[in-house]
Amino acid sequence: MASIFAGAPPNGAPGYSFAQTPTAAPSGIREHSFYPYTDNGGSTLGISGADFSILAGDTRSTSGYSINTRYAPKLFKIGGEGPESKGARIVLSVVGFAADGEALKERLDTIVKMYKYQHGKPMSVAACAQRLSHILYGKRFFPYYVTAILGGLDEEGKGALYSYDPVGSYEREQCRAAGAAASLIMPFLDNQVNFKNQYIPGSGEGHALQQRVPEPLPRKDVEELVKDAFTSAVERHIEVGDGLQMMIITKDGIEEIYEELKKD
Amino acid sequence: MNHLPQAWGRPRDDVYGAYSNSFLQTSGPTTHTQSPIVTGTSVIAVKFKDGVVIAADNLASYGSLARFTDVKRLRKFNTRAVVGFGGDVSDMQYLDRLLSSLDIRENYAEESPDAQLHAKNLHTYLSKVMYKRRSDFNPLWNHLLVAGLDGENKPFLASADLLGTTFSSPTLATGFGAHLAQPILRRTVPDEATVASVTKEQAVELVKESMKVLFYRDARSMDKYSIAVITKEGVELKENEKLENQSWAFAEGIRGYGTQVN
Amino acid sequence: MFIARSEYDRGINTFSPEGRLFQVEYSLEAIKLGSTAIGVATGEGVILGVEKRVTSTLLETSSVEKIVEIDSHIGCAMSGLQADARSMVEHARVESQNHAFHYNEPLRVESCTQAICDLALRFGEGAEGEESIMSRPFGVALLIAGYDEDGPSLYHAEPSGTFYRYDAKAIGSGSEGAQAELQNEFHKSLSLEEAEVLVLKTLKQVMEEKLDSKNVQLASVTKAKGFRIYTDEEMAEVVGRLPTN
Repeated sequence: MASIFAGAPPNGAPGYSFAQTPTAAPSGIREHSFYPYTDNGGSTLGISGADFSILAGDTRSTSGYSINTRYAPKLFKIGGEGPESKGARIVLSVVGFAADGEALKERLDTIVKMYKYQHGKPMSVAACAQRLSHILYGKRFFPYYVTAILGGLDEEGKGALYSYDPVGSYEREQCRAAGAAASLIMPFLDNQVNFKNQYIPGSGEGHALQQRVPEPLPRKDVEELVKDAFTSAVERHIEVGDGLQMMIITKDGIEEIYEELKKD
Repeated sequence: MNHLPQAWGRPRDDVYGAYSNSFLQTSGPTTHTQSPIVTGTSVIAVKFKDGVVIAADNLASYGSLARFTDVKRLRKFNTRAVVGFGGDVSDMQYLDRLLSSLDIRENYAEESPDAQLHAKNLHTYLSKVMYKRRSDFNPLWNHLLVAGLDGENKPFLASADLLGTTFSSPTLATGFGAHLAQPILRRTVPDEATVASVTKEQAVELVKESMKVLFYRDARSMDKYSIAVITKEGVELKENEKLENQSWAFAEGIRGYGTQVN
Repeated sequence: MFIARSEYDRGINTFSPEGRLFQVEYSLEAIKLGSTAIGVATGEGVILGVEKRVTSTLLETSSVEKIVEIDSHIGCAMSGLQADARSMVEHARVESQNHAFHYNEPLRVESCTQAICDLALRFGEGAEGEESIMSRPFGVALLIAGYDEDGPSLYHAEPSGTFYRYDAKAIGSGSEGAQAELQNEFHKSLSLEEAEVLVLKTLKQVMEEKLDSKNVQLASVTKAKGFRIYTDEEMAEVVGRLPTN
């Protein structure tokens, strides 16, 4: 009688006995099906002027082809007091994985506040920029999956803009676009802010043609550039849209502007 | 008769040979949740001028098996906050216990509802729990909606998922609902400004209609559901609602549905 | 029940009924045994000066290090147990380097002083009985001089963990006399050269040995040169400038 039940079923399927169930983990590389990141889409950009910096980002949050919400800010005031961040002089923009962006913002914000208590002075943008780089690099092996842009005014009152990669490489720039539509916006900025591929008419032929020299743009022009950049990005990128949030940092503080973008 | 309880329910030794306890071995890598097991489907919610309506059906599925048909997936936290759970049910039950202990810790000395944690507090707390667990590679496999009133007693609705991602919107839906219900909800409440013109009755009707669409099209859904309305007057929670006015007449016009073949 | 004062000398973190921490107070006494150190802050920079007690003619005076660099813009002079100062200075150096690393800017002098003072009360046992690094309070006081965005500044840090900013300060065995002298002689418009002379003149008054260019040491912190210890030639030059009497 017992012999009937002995062994596995003839077709090679798993037997009914616990003795036959595999107990050891399969050898070789194990695949983990939990992936701790996602991309929430959207785009940000920053431009620095002679006495101001401007940061902007769309407010759409996505998961795949779905829109999570039409209003999820990607711009954060850093080092201000209270829920309104009163008195802040630095703005951080983050695009990529929104949960990491939020966590990064909160870490930087507390560090900037602690700095003020410990050293009795507000943190400069240059100091904040270096610190942010170290925060990102500190998680080199489990990165904050975000592209950050930090904006403010430097010690001389000039517009200061720092851009980052997810593991902390950073540099000070005149302008930078990041996120889903970065590849659409950045060439536009190269041309319109740094005057790339613009030559002075009649200055020569071929190699003798002189490059138009970039100069800091007035605030009004920069705001128009930002709006144009985003309305164009909305047309060509599905993850960008709904709303445009802008923050302009001047010696008088941070001014915030919100405008509608197409919701399709 | 073997009186040792650990042997009960095991295969007979005389038929299958000595029982192997090797599956209880703890050697090998520690594994955390890699996928959910028993799951709940969509949770949907809408803000209206005085509060929020939130709903979820009472089904917990084991893969494609409709395993538990009386699982309440809306949890009242206090008089101004309700949490709706989508995703793994055991993780939901863990969060339920966590919220119970949070409630005891934070509110045991405080009777007045105004001083208690409100929906915004609760959402911040839950999103930190979710983000911490994902960062430990040990996620709570849920997508939560937190509905209720904020510190100024204004309607509050926000979501947190297994990755710690958070967002807020006048209408929210998790899982299949994000695809099927959200467009319907947004048709009535497209933005924050319209919330002020939506009445409780309209919101409830909208949610019930969306639950019906979900039942028609989501294979892992059920016609028995829970619905909660959170206003200044408190939480009105009904846990044994039945979908009304079902009509499958539309099926006739759809290929592959019903009895027609082509 | 009255308990004799000596009972409270034992527990290093135990208050006496009068509310005093005797071990900390004793540590302040230890500083009064140390050699005199003086700091004078002017608008141009800060001068630090110490006496080196040359106890033997066989002693190599250059090996007596009582003024040390913390960072290129901060230095300090000490009085008391020099070995204790080493761990404080080490801590301050690390703090200063960390700050520059993290923030790409020099550490402020006040923040540096605070960082040193944070160490001061980490003696005895912790509340949970965890091991502590130090068994007793520091037996040394520091004069911390530096130059930051607010200009030159001079701080005095005590083993009790308190610190104050001074225009001019003397510590160590001759501190009482020296402080009185500084009180009379200091004024806001001192030049750096005048401050050098004031420091040495004051040291001269309180030193037991006869002051020469070998048994004193000067250092300065200025905007242009940062912190620097005077060379033998510079010392000889300043000593030469002292009024003879």
